[in-house]
Amino acid sequence: MAASIAPECNETKEQYDTCFLKWYSEKYLRGNTKSNDCDELFSKYKTCLHKALKEKGMDSMLDDARKSSSETDAEFLKKS
Amino acid sequence: MKFFENKFTYDYSFPAVSLAYFLRYPNPYSRHVLTTDVIDRYVDPSTQRLHTTRLHLKKSKIPAGILKLLPKGMGGSDNSGQSYILETTIVDPREGWMETESRNMEWTGILSVVEKQRYQRLHADNDVRALDGLSIDQRAEQTTVRTTVTFKSRLGQGKLLGRKKADHTEGEDEAPKKGFFSSLSTAGIQRTIELIGVSRTRDAVLKSKEGMNVVLERLRSGGIVGVLEGMRRDREALGLDKALARV
Repeated sequence: MAASIAPECNETKEQYDTCFLKWYSEKYLRGNTKSNDCDELFSKYKTCLHKALKEKGMDSMLDDARKSSSETDAEFLKKS
Repeated sequence: MKFFENKFTYDYSFPAVSLAYFLRYPNPYSRHVLTTDVIDRYVDPSTQRLHTTRLHLKKSKIPAGILKLLPKGMGGSDNSGQSYILETTIVDPREGWMETESRNMEWTGILSVVEKQRYQRLHADNDVRALDGLSIDQRAEQTTVRTTVTFKSRLGQGKLLGRKKADHTEGEDEAPKKGFFSSLSTAGIQRTIELIGVSRTRDAVLKSKEGMNVVLERLRSGGIVGVLEGMRRDREALGLDKALARV
């Protein structure tokens, strides 16, 4: 699995990624879209990652980037 | 503003291709991708579509050709050799499509690059059949992908120069910039930068296609376990590269 930008999050990321792949291929793609098997692992990984991004001073850069792409998201939704 | 467009058909089912997209790093063609993180992910309760936001860290330098065009010192702080890419994807498994958008998050004042892809199940004849599982080994199913990349250089206008001005004292910054921009027209430089972006993208799009094909082949022959095994080897090779670079 791809490494995390924050080495201290690699372990929780790997657990989450493994869970996601299983859920995505065995449930989500087969129509069971409402299941949420990996929520707990994701929030654990997210907590670790967000702390690391904040320490790197990247949280505000991410917010800016996501704001500037929200226009495009609106286009996406219009189209579909 | 410049565009690059490409269409391609994978000989794999849509579920397999969408899975490979999430699993595409690391692969033997992605040595430049250092890390991948999931920033956000949710299923929209009204559409049942899966929304994902990921952050990739890539090795990348401003091409020498572009650096040459910049006033001295301008590319400096931004040219750390690494860049962040923000990727958003939306998957609709029922309708058999996936839309992706990737954009560079740094030196956007010099050249902003936005790549969009639309993956579409080729035989969208029967919704029920598509949900029949991964159908990894059904050769008959194909998936098309349309890639468009937009390049926009804002050099010499707006954001970057505004920021630079704020960073430095007026006198320091003004003189060389004036000399530089009067010697070549801003529009001409922007066009050149955009063209360099286009030619580099041709190679990048081809390489990412090769990478996807490796992952898809691993998926077909060994399932997810096969992909993970291949990844482990790629990651080890990446570590070896890094270790060698340090020597």
